[in-house]
Amino acid sequence: MNRPANSVLLIEDESKIRRFLRAGFELQGYSVIEAENATDGLKAATFSAPDLIILDLNLPDLHGSEVLERIRSWSNVPVIILSIVSSEDEKVRLLQAGADDYVVKPFGMAELLARSEAALRRYFKSATENPVVVAGPLSVDLVTRTVSLNKQPIRLTRKEYRLLHILATHIGLVVTHDQLLKDIWSGNQRDNIQYLRILVRKLRQKIETDPNRPRLLVTESGVGYRLQARLEDIAADSPPEILK
Amino acid sequence: MLTEQPIAASLVPIAYLVPVIIAATRWGIWPATLASIVSMAEADFFFFPPIFSFQVDDPQEVIDLLLFLVVALVSSNLASRLRQETETLRQRERDIQNLYDFSRRLAACFTVSELVSAIDNYLAQTLGQPAVFFAARSDGQLEQPKSGPVPKAVRESVTSAIAAAGNSVRSVIDASTQNVWLLRVVSSETAILGLVAVNIGAGSTDTLAIKTHRVEAILEEVSLTLQRIDIEKAMEDARLRLQAQLLRDAFHGTLSHELRTPLATIRGSASVLDSVPVIQKDERARSLVEAITDEVAELDGFIQSLLNATRVTAGGVTPHLEWTDPRDILNAAIKARARRLVAHKIETELADDLPLVNVDSGLIEESCGQLLENAAKYSPSGSTIVVSARRKQNDVVLSISDQGVGITVDEQPHLGRRLFRSQRHQASIPGSGLGFWIASIFVGANGGTIDITSPGQGLGATASITLPGSAMKQYELTGTTHE
Repeated sequence: MNRPANSVLLIEDESKIRRFLRAGFELQGYSVIEAENATDGLKAATFSAPDLIILDLNLPDLHGSEVLERIRSWSNVPVIILSIVSSEDEKVRLLQAGADDYVVKPFGMAELLARSEAALRRYFKSATENPVVVAGPLSVDLVTRTVSLNKQPIRLTRKEYRLLHILATHIGLVVTHDQLLKDIWSGNQRDNIQYLRILVRKLRQKIETDPNRPRLLVTESGVGYRLQARLEDIAADSPPEILK
Repeated sequence: MLTEQPIAASLVPIAYLVPVIIAATRWGIWPATLASIVSMAEADFFFFPPIFSFQVDDPQEVIDLLLFLVVALVSSNLASRLRQETETLRQRERDIQNLYDFSRRLAACFTVSELVSAIDNYLAQTLGQPAVFFAARSDGQLEQPKSGPVPKAVRESVTSAIAAAGNSVRSVIDASTQNVWLLRVVSSETAILGLVAVNIGAGSTDTLAIKTHRVEAILEEVSLTLQRIDIEKAMEDARLRLQAQLLRDAFHGTLSHELRTPLATIRGSASVLDSVPVIQKDERARSLVEAITDEVAELDGFIQSLLNATRVTAGGVTPHLEWTDPRDILNAAIKARARRLVAHKIETELADDLPLVNVDSGLIEESCGQLLENAAKYSPSGSTIVVSARRKQNDVVLSISDQGVGITVDEQPHLGRRLFRSQRHQASIPGSGLGFWIASIFVGANGGTIDITSPGQGLGATASITLPGSAMKQYELTGTTHE
């Protein structure tokens, strides 16, 4: 497969981490731009117009969230956050501020690549593209609103479909509770996360092989949910296939 | 000689006033009176004719002698009164000095025990009588004083004085010695610290009243000092808490950053290596990369435990509660520890009717993770670990059972203590002894309980976390009617 390389901008002050990120991305055919502080990062984001930005939160000159805010003021380029602290509140804050996803250090390259691909796919998806989202054995046709599992159509209630629809349009990316609650129950029950939990439980019963060990609709503790593009390996972190 | 005699005779009595004045200023009125009479007698005997006899010829001289006696008595009276005044002034000055010293000592008191010894010292010094202090224990009972015998009557009224908890001074008379004891409860604004009992001895009502007044003044001062100590203690506590907080933040921020950044590099680099075709083809190289990844996961888990432990020690576990599906918690815990559970078979038994739980999912996940890790550590590879969740009325019980070494009766009470590790495994199984301790504190912070049961040594163990569940109706949890 011969395709023009996607460019990724790494804004990260630790040179050793930049080194393995560069190697990891280059192995997958990305072209890499590096910036070791926020100032350089913001310049590179403007002038090099990368397709994807990997942003470390802990930068010497400016906090990552500030950098994210500035980028978001003029661009929709996908941004994935790297951070050491893993407080749920902070994750939610960053996602609400416009981050596409986050990865907590220490992490495996496979995880970051999967998130990157998902963010890029969403960013580049146009209306003319195939409206069918495929997640492992599950396929969701966003136009005809039909859902099938292993090619067998399944029936969902209106709310179940709404939930699946939001997750499918963000396939591979985390969607926060707030966003889901807002989109599904626009009115009175917005704050009631219990209803969301129950709705997820019901949807899982219809789409998961084992609803007790979900591998498609996975929970991000304290943050939200994610629809996996591939069936999640329970042992986690298997290396991705090498793209040629 | 003759011409001089009348002068001498009239001067002599005046010379004899000297010992009278001395006696009056030194020893008081009665010795001075005695001195006056003796002086008069001596003057008569040695100087008034006929000499060497107590007889006096001249009636004029009789009058002289009597005058001398009157003068001597009056001046001795005046001198002794002067002496008394001086003495009182001196005593007052001493008292003031003592009280001043006492306040200075009180100002230097920073703990209650220092204060007690200052009170004891001062009372013994000013009253010459011992004071005893009954310190209050946390259960409200009084400790018996270490020093000095206390009569039974006093002991008895001590209990009632504490029960009344008033700030007034009460007096008790010890029947056997007729000594009067003053009792006063010493308390700060927040708590009763104890009771001071002072033996002020026996005496007339007036002297006792004076002493009582003095003791009261002292104890008033003591109460003020106690309040100051209380405030200072609160400030000190706040300062310590702040320090602990700063230390914790430093540990969480800096140390976690310093330790995790290199780990992130190692982990990330290994994962990149793992995806390189040359290495993927080489089984030996792959296993090395895997070993690196596993060890990093181990180290990262250990750092997490340390961070958790500092969080707990600094008193900073404030759960962020949110309604959560207990299944999600268990699955996340299993997934996070997946690499360390590869040698075991994991079976999950999750009931269909599980209510939601209102917990901090991060904390409970961490607790389950610790229990899973323990299960894996203390059971042979290849054995099964059963992870289950079931409903018990409105509660949810999460259990992790292993087929491992089990727990002996001796070990049972020590579980949950920080750094406890059984002697049986110290050498054979690595660990910090923090895991279960952290788990139990995290679960406790979420309003849950944790316990471990084991049928005995070598028969495995089951750790269970019980969490209060949602009171939502059954059909709401599992039904399909909800739209």
